[in-house]
Amino acid sequence: MQPQLKSKVRCTDREIGEVTKVIVDPLSREISHIVVSMNGSGERQVSMALVQTITDDAVQLRNASAEVAALPPFKRDEYLSTHEVEIAHLEDNLHVTPGEVLVPFPELEKNVKRRTFFMNFTHAIGFLIGLPIAFPVLRYLMKPMYAPLDNGWLKIGNVSKIKADDIGVQFKYKKHVKEVYLPEAEVEKNVWILKATPAVLDKVYQGKDMEFRDATGKSVWTNKKDIPYVAFSGKCPHLGCGYKWRKHKVLGQVFLCPCHLSIYDASGKVLDGPAPRPLDALPIKVSASGDVQIIDMEFKAGTKSQIRIV
Amino acid sequence: MEHSSLPSSQPTVIEKVIAFVDERVGLKQMQAKMLNEPVPGGSRWAYVFGSVLLFIFIMQAVTGILLMFYYVPTADHAYASTQYIIHDVDYGWFLLSYHFWGSTAMVVCVFAHMSQVFLWGAYKPPREMIWLVGLALFGIVMGFGFTGYLLPWDQRAYWATTVGVEIMDKTPLVGDFMARFLKGGPTPGQMTLSRFFVIHVMILPAALMGLAGLHLFLFRAAGPAGPFRGTPEEIKAKTDFFFPRQVWKDIVGMAVVFASIVAMAFWEPVVLLEEATPDPGDYHPEPEWYFLFLFQLLRLKIFAGEFGQFLGAIALPGAFMALLAALPFIDRDPERNIFKRPVALIGWIVVMVAILLFTVSAIINREFLD
Repeated sequence: MQPQLKSKVRCTDREIGEVTKVIVDPLSREISHIVVSMNGSGERQVSMALVQTITDDAVQLRNASAEVAALPPFKRDEYLSTHEVEIAHLEDNLHVTPGEVLVPFPELEKNVKRRTFFMNFTHAIGFLIGLPIAFPVLRYLMKPMYAPLDNGWLKIGNVSKIKADDIGVQFKYKKHVKEVYLPEAEVEKNVWILKATPAVLDKVYQGKDMEFRDATGKSVWTNKKDIPYVAFSGKCPHLGCGYKWRKHKVLGQVFLCPCHLSIYDASGKVLDGPAPRPLDALPIKVSASGDVQIIDMEFKAGTKSQIRIV
Repeated sequence: MEHSSLPSSQPTVIEKVIAFVDERVGLKQMQAKMLNEPVPGGSRWAYVFGSVLLFIFIMQAVTGILLMFYYVPTADHAYASTQYIIHDVDYGWFLLSYHFWGSTAMVVCVFAHMSQVFLWGAYKPPREMIWLVGLALFGIVMGFGFTGYLLPWDQRAYWATTVGVEIMDKTPLVGDFMARFLKGGPTPGQMTLSRFFVIHVMILPAALMGLAGLHLFLFRAAGPAGPFRGTPEEIKAKTDFFFPRQVWKDIVGMAVVFASIVAMAFWEPVVLLEEATPDPGDYHPEPEWYFLFLFQLLRLKIFAGEFGQFLGAIALPGAFMALLAALPFIDRDPERNIFKRPVALIGWIVVMVAILLFTVSAIINREFLD
């Protein structure tokens, strides 16, 4: 029979209190001590060796009450509740209900300072393992993120294709790309070319030549303000969709993006919709025979200012 | 501890968030249960291998995922993408070499972990199931080594796989099916690469995570075995909790293994041979070092011929694994002290010496081939 919680505890001379807790040995999984509350004068930890007999509702000790009262007070800090430890099959041979069942801290674990020291040391070594690889991993993943800009001219067709002024005409062209370890491949892209009347041309250039610079700020090319051919990047400045030249019921002939309904006039100016800036004009040169060349550039979508990314 | 610390005046935001989660899922009790496990006889350096293996696996998963950012498992680009990782991507050579040497560290630690459990007699009742699941994990680790070896698609990869699959082919009844299943055809090619890739990055990691979880669960259900000698009083006096002393020893073990793998990655970074082709040229095919003893075994005269091959490549390793699996059921003696188990001690020494001798002779044999 195991001592039950709330059982009365009797000494050889008199009753001294009741069982409030039992303490279990973590290795033998047997009850090693009972904790007795001394009728309001603190708790004492009593070894099972002192227990003479156990009945359903009482524990009889071998000692006199004075001897038990002389024991040091029970130190709760030196124990853990069984909810806080993992001891396999602990409950198998325990028949104590209800209340707190305690397990003592091992002798080696009672020094809180040493526990804290080992804990901090563990964290420090963990950081020593993690920190040296954080930077290499970041650099490793960043490798393809910032490709150098390509300022080569691409032939895209002949202006003889353009039949009227101030009308958007799509020119398709192939661009060679070499992506990491893959062999060189061709991708299809497009720009919109406009043969602009002086009024529209002035809206595009606003009386100034348009200069293009590379990442270091060096000038790459200047679009002269009086050359009538204008090239717009095929990428909508709102969120990067492909826009079209369409007839609008109210606005007439416009550039219209089918994704979020941004609408631009022939000069690329925003007429309606969510676009934050006009269409992006690209460097263009037209030879005497009418062959058109452009520099393929892409700009970040969704920003008010032009930020070149390709 | 929680009880001894005085309640602070104002809880910080972090403390409030922790308290919020704790109230709903019992975080603190869960953490306490995990960390407050008595280690009979106290923490020891000999117990670090299980935790170290978990650490190595996590690092293999991390570096493996990072490698997949650039690697493609196709016969026409696997080699080029691996070369790209080694030569072009910043620190790519390091992460690939870490992954390679990590696999070697995994095999070394698996051997150490199994030896420790064997010598401590920790496979004996009630821990038979932990041992069995451990053997399955051993098989998975070997499977990782075998399937990962093909992925760079260089000559070494191609030929190790060719020979390895031929060995599997010699299994009675199911061998031909298994070999074709793995190769995805009669000869190694794109289908082989795809299958090895899926096995290496999906099937084996899932199997390992599941079985390692089961391994830990069974370990917690049975409790640590503790030392194999000492009176109950001596063991009790030295007992402490898993945290912090064993955790501290574990993390020092992890740091040592981490530093060793990093050092090997610097000293011996992975270098690929020529791209895989069914013409070996001047290359002498050889498996990874931990399969060398098995490789050397098959050069012996007694394992010549079809039956000999079956004996050396399938029957002998198969019988050895079966013996390991049956061990806790054959060895019913509750004695755990290795110095009172002469058959076990001599058996372990014989196996270790045999593996060492065959590995060394395979290395010596290289000189006669050049």
